[in-house]
Amino acid sequence: MIYRDVYEDVIFKAIHKGATVISEDIRISFERAIAEETYPAAKEGLERTYESMLLSEKKDNPACPDTGWPIFYFKVGNDCSLEGGLMGLEEATRRAVEKATRKGYLRSTMKHPLTGYDPGNNIGSNIPSFTYQFVPGDSIEVTYVAKGGGSECFGGTRHRVVAFADGVKGIEKFVIDSFVEATRSGGICPPNIIGIGIGGTANIAANLAKEAACLRTVGSKHPDSEFRKIEEDLFIALNNLDVGILGIGGNTSVLAVNVEYAYTHIAGICVDISCNCMVARRASYHINSDGTYVTMDSPNWFRGR
Amino acid sequence: MGVFHLKAPLKEEDVTRLNIGDTVFISGDAFTCRSMLHRWIFEENHKLPPDIANRNVLIHVGPIVLEEDKSWKLVSFMPTSSLRFEKWGAASVKTWGLRMIIGKTTMGKETMKAMMEHKCVHVSPQCVSPNLWIDSIKVTGVDLLKELGSIEAAWHMTLNELGPFIVDIDCRGNNLYKNHEHIVNTNKTMALEKIGIPNEFKYTKLYGE
Repeated sequence: MIYRDVYEDVIFKAIHKGATVISEDIRISFERAIAEETYPAAKEGLERTYESMLLSEKKDNPACPDTGWPIFYFKVGNDCSLEGGLMGLEEATRRAVEKATRKGYLRSTMKHPLTGYDPGNNIGSNIPSFTYQFVPGDSIEVTYVAKGGGSECFGGTRHRVVAFADGVKGIEKFVIDSFVEATRSGGICPPNIIGIGIGGTANIAANLAKEAACLRTVGSKHPDSEFRKIEEDLFIALNNLDVGILGIGGNTSVLAVNVEYAYTHIAGICVDISCNCMVARRASYHINSDGTYVTMDSPNWFRGR
Repeated sequence: MGVFHLKAPLKEEDVTRLNIGDTVFISGDAFTCRSMLHRWIFEENHKLPPDIANRNVLIHVGPIVLEEDKSWKLVSFMPTSSLRFEKWGAASVKTWGLRMIIGKTTMGKETMKAMMEHKCVHVSPQCVSPNLWIDSIKVTGVDLLKELGSIEAAWHMTLNELGPFIVDIDCRGNNLYKNHEHIVNTNKTMALEKIGIPNEFKYTKLYGE
């Protein structure tokens, strides 16, 4: 049995860490980008961003004030026993979000979509959001993602149904067109991590794209060669656009391109793109059935990538 | 491209000499504004609170500010995208007598026109560096906290060499990002060709467009 006070504490730790500590794979990709960037202004921008990101851990403050939508992913062991069950888990998560907002680790960003009402705690209809995977075992893994508004709202999230007649060319053109439109004047905070969902219904493709952008580690590759080729082709193509950090020009426009897929209908291929900003924030913890827990570098959402 | 250290309130000649691509650092009094404050003023017909009415540097930002020992502690600060405020941009420049807007991205045609007429510039950050900025900002007060919430309220900020920001819209109708778009569009054609997508490629239509 995993007790309520244990998982509530771990969920709070995940929010705290996700907002303030940049994960290892993002740090490595920033160091590489700084070393390889040839435009002086872009190099300086990357350096200043990286310096500020690292300072957040010391200063114990959010790496970016836009802590965005609070999104949670749980990998639940089929034999995992939680005090209060999954409803207890969701209640505890809401309390942890409220506490993190009160302490200034999260900005009070979530508001009513029509009236603009700000409850001041990031809690409201369907927010925070919960996604589950069920796996063998008796432990549970929690991943918190701070999904920023810039990369979500200014063209970084797109949907299109591509005809089978257009295939991979249609998919790649859609991604490049979308990215170019979205990065004008740096609205989506490039260099981005691009998630692409291919196949399924519109919502399946959108969820895969979001998970590919926010849960895959930077540097991971799709195991199937045809999807890996799309990742590699688009990584090169997008980095040749000269978008650069915040759209000022430079040879680092994306940090990663991650593709995930579902089987689709013979009628067409849903393609979704989801962008994560350069200050990509997430944190994952694994809680054992005896209540002990460890932090994980990777959410391990897509089995090893 | 020059580097300028400016002191608010800004005079007309402080900003008319700036060109796109120049770097600026700003000191002096400023205030913050997002959608709700724009709406409060321009659609619900309120007046800008008197404490900030004479300030001419506006920051598009939703900071994290905590109250500690009866004073304000700035926890995090990163200018937000100005593009979304375009609907109110020209009115804010004209009615509030702004000389400078600090914000991410840029602004559209109508605001640029107002900026030419009323001598105002837009400057934007080239990095996401809240921790390199928060020590250059003192939060001295706030208006409309209860009415609009902490992120949308009008925060009073006193800046000390806050920057660097790049001038992306000057007073002569130039826009740095607009100029860069042509380069990206040319590169896009080459990038598509490189991965085997011809310039004349058209999507098969699956529904009316």
